Amino acid sequence: MIALNKITKKYGSMQAVTNLTLHIPRGEIFGFIGPNGAGKTTTIKMMGGVLMPTSGTIRICGIDMKTDPEAAKKCIGFIPDRPYLYEKLTGLEFLHFIADLYHVDPKRFPEKAYNNLKLFSLADWANELIESYSHGMKQRLIMAAALMHDPEVLIVDEPMVGLDPIGIKLIKDLFKQLAQNGTAIFLSTHTLQVAEDLCHRIGIIAKGKLIATGSPRELKQAFQGVNTDLEEIFLKLTHDE
Amino acid sequence: MMKTLVFGSIGLAFWTGILLVAMRVLHYFRRIEELGDLLAFKLLSMILITLLSLLIFSSILTSLSKLFLSKDLGLVHAMPVPSHTLFFSRWIESTVDSSWMVVVYMLPVFLAYGVTYHAGIFFYLTIISAIFSLSITASAISSLLVMVAVFIVPANRIRNIFIFLGLTLFIVLFIAFRLMRPERLVNPEVFSTVLLYLSALRTPQQPYLPSTWAFDSIKSALSDNIAAGLFHMAICWSFVGLMISLLLIFSGQIYSQGMSKAQTSPARLFKARLSGNMLFRFLPPHLRAFTVKEIKTFFRDQTQWSQIFLIGALVLIYIFNFKALPLEKAPIKTIYLQNLLSFLNVGLAAFVLVAVTGRFAYPAVSNENEAVWIVKSTPVTLGSFLWIKFFIYMIPLMILTEVLIIATNIFLNVTPFMMGLSVVTIFFMVPGVVSIGLGFGAAYPNFKSENPAQSVTSFGGLLFMMLSALLICGVIVLEAGPVYSLFMAELYQRALTPLEWAWIWVSFSLVLTLCLLSLFLPMRFGARRLFEMTQ
Repeated sequence: MIALNKITKKYGSMQAVTNLTLHIPRGEIFGFIGPNGAGKTTTIKMMGGVLMPTSGTIRICGIDMKTDPEAAKKCIGFIPDRPYLYEKLTGLEFLHFIADLYHVDPKRFPEKAYNNLKLFSLADWANELIESYSHGMKQRLIMAAALMHDPEVLIVDEPMVGLDPIGIKLIKDLFKQLAQNGTAIFLSTHTLQVAEDLCHRIGIIAKGKLIATGSPRELKQAFQGVNTDLEEIFLKLTHDE
Repeated sequence: MMKTLVFGSIGLAFWTGILLVAMRVLHYFRRIEELGDLLAFKLLSMILITLLSLLIFSSILTSLSKLFLSKDLGLVHAMPVPSHTLFFSRWIESTVDSSWMVVVYMLPVFLAYGVTYHAGIFFYLTIISAIFSLSITASAISSLLVMVAVFIVPANRIRNIFIFLGLTLFIVLFIAFRLMRPERLVNPEVFSTVLLYLSALRTPQQPYLPSTWAFDSIKSALSDNIAAGLFHMAICWSFVGLMISLLLIFSGQIYSQGMSKAQTSPARLFKARLSGNMLFRFLPPHLRAFTVKEIKTFFRDQTQWSQIFLIGALVLIYIFNFKALPLEKAPIKTIYLQNLLSFLNVGLAAFVLVAVTGRFAYPAVSNENEAVWIVKSTPVTLGSFLWIKFFIYMIPLMILTEVLIIATNIFLNVTPFMMGLSVVTIFFMVPGVVSIGLGFGAAYPNFKSENPAQSVTSFGGLLFMMLSALLICGVIVLEAGPVYSLFMAELYQRALTPLEWAWIWVSFSLVLTLCLLSLFLPMRFGARRLFEMTQ
């Protein structure tokens, strides 16, 4: 579903991502963790088509992002780390806007919009302007919008930022449900516990390079034993880099 | 460096222009016996009241933003710094921001007085002192009013109300001034009557206005009455002292509380019932999405409404100007003059179009602000996105410009040929100008600005204006000769020669080519530059 092949991104002389290769199949939740400035957001933006890689290929649902970006993006539900939205639209209008861009059937839209708003506890705010939403509400609205077209791939940057514990549980349960239904989910997070609880596989990135990848259990076994904390492994690996 | 040089030169030219005009007016007044000085001082008094009003209005908006609406206030107020210290640091910033431009561009007027009346050094020192005292006074009054107002109305709404009221007032005054037909003053009979009337005006000076004290001190300085000048200046500055003391008291007591109140967002005044999606259901989905989004976000922004009213007033004045033209008094044959003006009006209307395009279409891409990630991540090409924006802005701008042309042509009573030519020329020019605006706005966007409308004052905006001017001049120059030949042939009922026909065809073909190039090339440039930003 997601295939990154030797992705490199340079900003002038600075190399943000170096030779990154990853394959994420259907139904897998892949966690991308790394220290600040490691290249997580850059990678996510490249996968979402917001940035173009300097070299390498990105294929989403088998479609090359470089040659047919529009078709590739149709498969993606993209959720950035910061919820910048059109403040003068209402929540419902924003969903309608996204639904039209992704060619959601207009007949299905009312039910889908209502269900998504209800799922993310935004039903009472549907007709209020986004400028009156809190940070967490905006984040949830973006998630509701990203799911309007039932994407096959979900790309999420820091999904838990700004969410309360109820919101965090909601997202965890939702992602597990979506993965069971076949959606491939690529998420970046700073919260190692979330990665450990949620992800089938984890990739650790530091200074633009993928330094380790595997399930939480595999990582623990590979480094110091099953009882070792993921945090210790993370700190050891990123410190060594 | 280049940009600074260009903008600096334009500013300096404008400043020099004001100085020269002011000196000319004052020299003219001085030549009028008995009334000259009276008129000059009445003018000075009006200038000072206007200066104070402008400063107060400008300060209200700036202090609202600096004291209550700025995005870093949350961080600043979390610091272990006393409330009044925070207040004063922001207030000083607000005072400078709100007054520097007004002061800089009023300075040449006062300098003109100094030069015309051969004033000494004391006059110039008085001017500096007066301007400073008025700026601080205006800023202090505004800040006090704002601190109180924030308790009653949400800060965001106050700003929008003030912008709206200010513009409405300006529009009303502007229209009223124009309807008074000031051009009649060039008629000597009317002018002498007006002068006598003005001199007989015994408009009392309001003794408690800071502008009156400033006026008295400046007038005394001009008359070399140093003692009186110092006395009135002392009154100005003692009032400044009083205002600052009041600010000190109020800022300690109520600023923090006002700041908390300002955090609330205003409730929606009007909840629309009509779904834009129903209205535009005939459009393809992605086109409909951006069209509805653009229209809703545009009309829900109250600052845009003020701009629309202002443009509406300017359009009315523009049309009225043509209605008021004294064509029958011109020495040139009327029918010739009417049609000549109609032809030149194409250029004028196009320049109006450039101004409106610069205000609305140029910042259209920058208006996406930080939400531009939505455009980049959705399955819509950047080219399509730009073209959708193009049509959204092109249609109303086309209607506006064609209305201008048709209405003014009706008042000019032009021939059907000239009416047709104007309408068709504008029809082909409007897409070009809009494309240049949108294309360069996309090529030089500013997604992080709090006020994207200001992006037209950037380097990209300058390129947009220069290229638009080139397009307009190119079209006018190319059409001038052929239009003259056609018009004269029709007027004198003579046939055109084959050479003239060839010239006409080549010229109009070049015009069409120029318009088509200006339609497609800027859009391609803008889309390419936007795409390169993703690289």
